[in-house]
Amino acid sequence: MSISAHDIRNIAECDAAHLPGLLLRSQHLANGVLLGEHGRRRPGSGDDFWQYRPLYDGESHRMIDWRQSARGDDHFVRQHELKNAQTAQLWVDQSASMRFTGHAGRTTKSGRARVIALALSILLLRKGERVGLSDGTLAPRRGAQQVQNLSDRFEVDDIQDYAAPAIGALKPNARVVFISDFMAPIEPVTTAVGRATDRNATGVLLQVLDPIELQFPFSGRTIFESLGGKLRHESLKASDLKADYVERIETRCSALRDLCQRTGWQYHRHMTDRAAQSALLWLYHALGDGTQRS
Amino acid sequence: MSLTFLTPWLLSALLGLPVLWLLLRAVPPAPIRRFFPGVILLLGLRDKTQISDRTPWWLLLIRMLALGLIILGLAGPLLNPQSTTIKRSDLLILLDGGWAAARDWQAHQLLLDRVLNQAARDGRPVAIARLTTPSTPVFQSAQSWQERLPGLAPTPWVPDASKMQTALQGLNDQPFDSLWLSDGLAQTGRAALLSALQNRGDVEVIETEQTLFALEPAKLSDGMITLHAIRLPNTVDQSVTIRAHGTDPNGRSQIISTITTAFTESATRIPVQFSLPAELRERVSRFDIVGQTSAAGVSLTGNSLLRREVALISEGADREGLELLSPLHFIAKAYAPSAELLSGDLTTLLPANPDLVVLADIAKLSTTEETALGQWVAEGGLLLRFAGPRLATSDLSRTTEHPLMPVRLRAGGRTVGGAMSWGAPKSLAAFAPNSPFFGLEIPNDVRVSAQVLAQPDPSLSQRVIAMLADGTPLVTRKQSGKGQIVLFHVTANAEWSSLPLSGLFVQMLERLSQSVAGSEPDMKSLQGTIWQPSQILSAQGQLEPATRLAGIAAEKLFDAPLSAEIRPGLYTHAKEQVARNVIGPDSRLLPAIWPNGTNLRGLSDRLETPLGGWCLILALLILLVDVLATLSLSGRLVSTVAVLCLLATLSSTGPACAQDDGAEARTPATNGNAGAAVSEKAWQASSELTLAYVVTGNSKVDAISKAGLDGLSQTLFARTSVEPAAPVGLDLERDMLMFYPLLYWPITADQPTPSSKAYRKLNAFLKSGGMIVFDTRDGDIAGFGTSSPNSLRLQKITYGIDIPALEPMPQDHVLTRAFYLLQDFPGRYTQRDIWVEAAPQAVEKAAGMPFRNLNDGVSPVIIGGNDWAAAWAVDAQGKQMFPIGRNASDRRQRELAYRFGINLVMHVLTGNYKSDQVHVPALLDRLGQ
Repeated sequence: MSISAHDIRNIAECDAAHLPGLLLRSQHLANGVLLGEHGRRRPGSGDDFWQYRPLYDGESHRMIDWRQSARGDDHFVRQHELKNAQTAQLWVDQSASMRFTGHAGRTTKSGRARVIALALSILLLRKGERVGLSDGTLAPRRGAQQVQNLSDRFEVDDIQDYAAPAIGALKPNARVVFISDFMAPIEPVTTAVGRATDRNATGVLLQVLDPIELQFPFSGRTIFESLGGKLRHESLKASDLKADYVERIETRCSALRDLCQRTGWQYHRHMTDRAAQSALLWLYHALGDGTQRS
Repeated sequence: MSLTFLTPWLLSALLGLPVLWLLLRAVPPAPIRRFFPGVILLLGLRDKTQISDRTPWWLLLIRMLALGLIILGLAGPLLNPQSTTIKRSDLLILLDGGWAAARDWQAHQLLLDRVLNQAARDGRPVAIARLTTPSTPVFQSAQSWQERLPGLAPTPWVPDASKMQTALQGLNDQPFDSLWLSDGLAQTGRAALLSALQNRGDVEVIETEQTLFALEPAKLSDGMITLHAIRLPNTVDQSVTIRAHGTDPNGRSQIISTITTAFTESATRIPVQFSLPAELRERVSRFDIVGQTSAAGVSLTGNSLLRREVALISEGADREGLELLSPLHFIAKAYAPSAELLSGDLTTLLPANPDLVVLADIAKLSTTEETALGQWVAEGGLLLRFAGPRLATSDLSRTTEHPLMPVRLRAGGRTVGGAMSWGAPKSLAAFAPNSPFFGLEIPNDVRVSAQVLAQPDPSLSQRVIAMLADGTPLVTRKQSGKGQIVLFHVTANAEWSSLPLSGLFVQMLERLSQSVAGSEPDMKSLQGTIWQPSQILSAQGQLEPATRLAGIAAEKLFDAPLSAEIRPGLYTHAKEQVARNVIGPDSRLLPAIWPNGTNLRGLSDRLETPLGGWCLILALLILLVDVLATLSLSGRLVSTVAVLCLLATLSSTGPACAQDDGAEARTPATNGNAGAAVSEKAWQASSELTLAYVVTGNSKVDAISKAGLDGLSQTLFARTSVEPAAPVGLDLERDMLMFYPLLYWPITADQPTPSSKAYRKLNAFLKSGGMIVFDTRDGDIAGFGTSSPNSLRLQKITYGIDIPALEPMPQDHVLTRAFYLLQDFPGRYTQRDIWVEAAPQAVEKAAGMPFRNLNDGVSPVIIGGNDWAAAWAVDAQGKQMFPIGRNASDRRQRELAYRFGINLVMHVLTGNYKSDQVHVPALLDRLGQ
């Protein structure tokens, strides 16, 4: 089956139409967070002036800031504010199950996850951190161009029903962000978190769920299908399943929470009917705490 | 109450229902398919209860019930089937079918239909015969009669039983049963026909229980239209309403007058009198009885109420030019509204056969004239004579009574109340009851000062119809043949009396002339004429055009009974028109009398009712219940109900919009009491300058818009002579836009696009000089023209608005100097790009001028993204609501924002005033150039 040039053009146009939207929403989200944030507030290697300090004995005269020292009798050294770059590696679930929304007016889980991930990337990149993808398709880099690269990657949909975190290219000491609905079996997640911890990487699990997925408001004879269509389950009276299902999903959430507690990671559950801002703030602070601690 | 089935074998299908029960039970309702990511967690879960595997019993019951009803319905159940024992095979149905049956014809047809149905079921041959058109009955199958049933119509003449009896002879000795639908009116030969039928077989008579009314022809007597209403003998008080139909002056038919009267006790004939002004009376074309849809309830008038012809004769034109002294002036004036006036000399006018001839002060007539006039009077003419100087001095009717004078006259007459005479002018005495003037009111100012005097003869007292207060005859009358001769003993002008000046004179002439018209058509004069039908009356009393009907000789038209050839209606001959009515004068209505022992029934018997349709409808309803039940079983009921509710609300918004359309069509200028109709909002907006914003539906944005325009209004109030009222928010779908000069429209990403009606309003608003300021409010993140959500929404919204070509605001745009000199237009953000209507291409900057000469109109739209409302916004305490920029630049930027707002309002209100070259030197001076 061949795709004509016209089709490719059409598909590309459709895809491109998302792009400014995703970027803009993410920029908009990021703008709100940036206000009121400050620098590292300690001397180090950076571009911004931090302070003058007296010259200590034994220090090279090359370090003296002569312009300042000429004003008095003492010699001063000019110090810059510390700017140390962290590496953040993201994994955003692109599988079919993320493309679910329980209400026509609500964004899909996937859409929300991408916006949050991209907004977080923008924030981190503005701070000078390196941001990349943990599955190795995009190596961590700095700079505004990386935003574009990331948003390109986020446009790619996965065809499989459920996906597990991919950590093929995890850097040591990196900060890791897994964004998914974590509906897939939990074992691969446990393994991925364990391997990341082995490499001295810490991170966060952000579980994005649609409210429908917690409430299970179904009744009557129903055939449930996964979005990829590979799994199906038939119930003659769906309302009977509610209690069991809710118990299972809560168990899944608490299992994730336990996993994070054991490994020093952080866990957050975000519902798509809430504002993206709250999840972004939580993420930003969760990561921010980590950077200050190290 | 009894029940039978048309096709009973269909009921055996009911036996199949239990099989269906088993089949339906095995098929549970179909499941819904839902996409659900959590399905992975559902795997392995079991339903707690095993229900719905089989269809629930009550659902089955509903379906069985529906099916059972369908089978029942198809089997054709009949309630009250008409079952009679049949002795003879053939059935003759006799219809009276005259006008008396017209009112209940539909009931008759229903009855016939039922009878024919029954006969069809029994396989009986049927013949239908109408007494109005007697012919030998032909027996045919009931089905073929059923097809012809709608074609049977009543006739406007009465049935003839005796002719029917002779027609029956054609059937030899064939036996048959009979069914006679009688109209309840007596007719000759009815009893004989009945016994003839009874000889052949059983006879059943069905008679209408009805009250029949009829109208006799209208007659005109002494100015009143009199007609009689008659009814069947009855002792109940019944009221009837009689209407006079006619045409209005434009020729449209209308009801001219209505009278309600009552038959009391055993009266069968009551008079009805219409007292109508001559103008109206002449327009009456027919009378009818309300609710009596038969030809007898209609009385056509023909020409009997039409205008009369009056011939005015005077002695030569010897005093030309003195119009008010002309002896005929007042008579002509009096008759002009109600009659055709003919003038000329007698010999030419008499052949025209006028209804009335007026001779004013004419003493001498030639003998031929006298003879012709005498003949004309004898044939029914009215000769009206007036006295005068000539008559007084002549010898006319002095010694012997002249045939054309009512009385003998004394010589000279008398004069009272003059300069040379004793006594005062005389007034009139009240009219005697036998006078045609009886009942007229006599004005006090009528005085007679001169008159001719009648000789006291034995017959004088009978001939006086009006006299003076002293008993002197003033008006005398004499019958002559069919006509009459009337003499006024005064002049027809005001010389001898003030009578012609009074209204009484007009009324007296009117009374006299009325007695002429409305007489019976004279058979002698009509002898041998052929009358052509122009309109004929149907049995239901409707006038129909007469087509393909032959003309009728006059003697037959008025004497022969009505039949298929001689139908009631309007007939014309030359210019004359006469009416032949169903009921002649002095008619009576008599009820039919049946011999004892006749099998007599009424119309309103219990009906045979087929129940099949009802069964099927009930089955459909039950199936509908089944649909709902199935939906609820499979969990789809809620969504279906939601969809239905949505549809219902959508359809109900239609009328609301339409109503609004109507409200908008009204404008205060065209509607005097528009205060109630036009909304309070529009009322206020049209009385004071008001800034307006578009309500977006986002309460936060709307609040900012309101506060912003509030702040701008306050600033305008403080700094300029523009003093706006409090700003208002406009709902584009409902409110009128035309009163607002400026519309501030903040764009939100989720704003709905306006309806096509709102677009029409917006375009009309822009065309009539309004301005819309679009604010995308995203100047901080998006340069204009990028695809920010607000900009995308703006593109969608403005798609339906008629916006001219735009350009970024040029440096020399009039907005930069409408009030303040500005180069930046900041709001909360300081984006430079503001788009306005593009200037014409050809305009070049003149040498030495800082700006081009652009004398075009106000830009209809201004598009920017600087969130001006937020910069202008003040709260209730007058404090700024939002910070702008940083520190000191805040104040400067806000000041500039206000200046832009002021320039904006000035631009809208003054147009390109500031572009005027008159101001260039001063502006140059201020610009320091």
